[in-house]
Amino acid sequence: MRGEAETDLAIQRYGDTIRRLCMLHLKNEADSQDIFQTVFLKYLLYKGEFESQEHEKAWFIRVTLNACKDLLKSVFRSRTVSLEELSPQYAAGLTDGGREVWEAVLALPPKYRDVIYLHYYEGYTAPELSEILGRKVNTIYTDLTRARARLKEMLGGEADG
Amino acid sequence: MDERLKEAFGQFQAEERLKADTRAYLNQVRTRKSRPAPRYWLAAALACLALLAAGIGGYQFYFTPTTVLSIDINPSLELGVNRFDKVVTVQGYNEDGKALADSLDLKLLDYQVALEVLMECESIADRLAQGQLLSITVVGEDQTQSDRLLAGAEACTAGRENVRCGHGDPEVLEEAHHAGLSMGKYQAYLELQALDPTVTPEDVAGLTMREIRDWIDRLEAGKPVPTPGGQGNGHGHHYHGGG
Repeated sequence: MRGEAETDLAIQRYGDTIRRLCMLHLKNEADSQDIFQTVFLKYLLYKGEFESQEHEKAWFIRVTLNACKDLLKSVFRSRTVSLEELSPQYAAGLTDGGREVWEAVLALPPKYRDVIYLHYYEGYTAPELSEILGRKVNTIYTDLTRARARLKEMLGGEADG
Repeated sequence: MDERLKEAFGQFQAEERLKADTRAYLNQVRTRKSRPAPRYWLAAALACLALLAAGIGGYQFYFTPTTVLSIDINPSLELGVNRFDKVVTVQGYNEDGKALADSLDLKLLDYQVALEVLMECESIADRLAQGQLLSITVVGEDQTQSDRLLAGAEACTAGRENVRCGHGDPEVLEEAHHAGLSMGKYQAYLELQALDPTVTPEDVAGLTMREIRDWIDRLEAGKPVPTPGGQGNGHGHHYHGGG
């Protein structure tokens, strides 16, 4: 079992990433918090070694996405919800621009949300995302292109940046 | 676009409260694992007293599996679960199973937590994603506990494709272990052997559950199947065991 210092460091390093992935997939705060804790419980109990910090981070992303998908499969929760419903506290804390972007991203199909967040914020390339998400590289490129096009429609003309 | 996305995502961070709660939760788990929860200690202590009087050690009472969960995909491993639904033994039945058993610390976990951890580990999750078949077989003399554990295993795997959960016959468990196979794989072997009496436990030891199931399906359909060793004479198709 991993020590306290090790899990604290992991929460510090990957907590924001995991929380955002939960936010992109789950429909309420309580589910997000459950998954957040479950992911770190798995880390606590996982005895395997990580080759690098990147390897460790990729493990966290995969475990989080799998846990989110399992939860969504186990209960009927397919409807889309607004940012206010999802996290009123955070919605209030976002700038107008930030809120607009989050609303647009949450309106995308789930597979697009992953690639958009992981590519544009976390900086993963399409081949890296292919490894992490278990999808073909070409599919990742297609998803990124389509997701960008949809965001462009929703967010307006400045989307070529 | 890139900047807008980055800025918006960056505005959202994990709450300090959530991080603190998670740290506290992990510490609780650590404490529970190093020292089982008091109510279980109480139950175990009372049970110990009763059993010591009967000449049986309390340790044995707590650490004796009453039900076995055989988990087979290839890795094959068995979790021994005690009467309090805690994992007390973990036994790998092939190289992958042994490696998996060694890589995870599942002892004293609730069996459902242990199953969830297993479902998420790479060697199982990747194989499931590839369409491999996972079998969870529950074997125990106590029908009530077996039914409860089967229901729990089904709940843990609800929504996952290619997972089969079922009961196993306790009388067959010893035969399975004698043959060097986990219960789930041995049951599949028996099914296969009924169709082809020449098949031996060694033939299926290295196969995945999907390969064994395909083999059974082909025999049932009357299609030719190669020998397990891949010689191509007689059975029909090449089964290369994954270890």
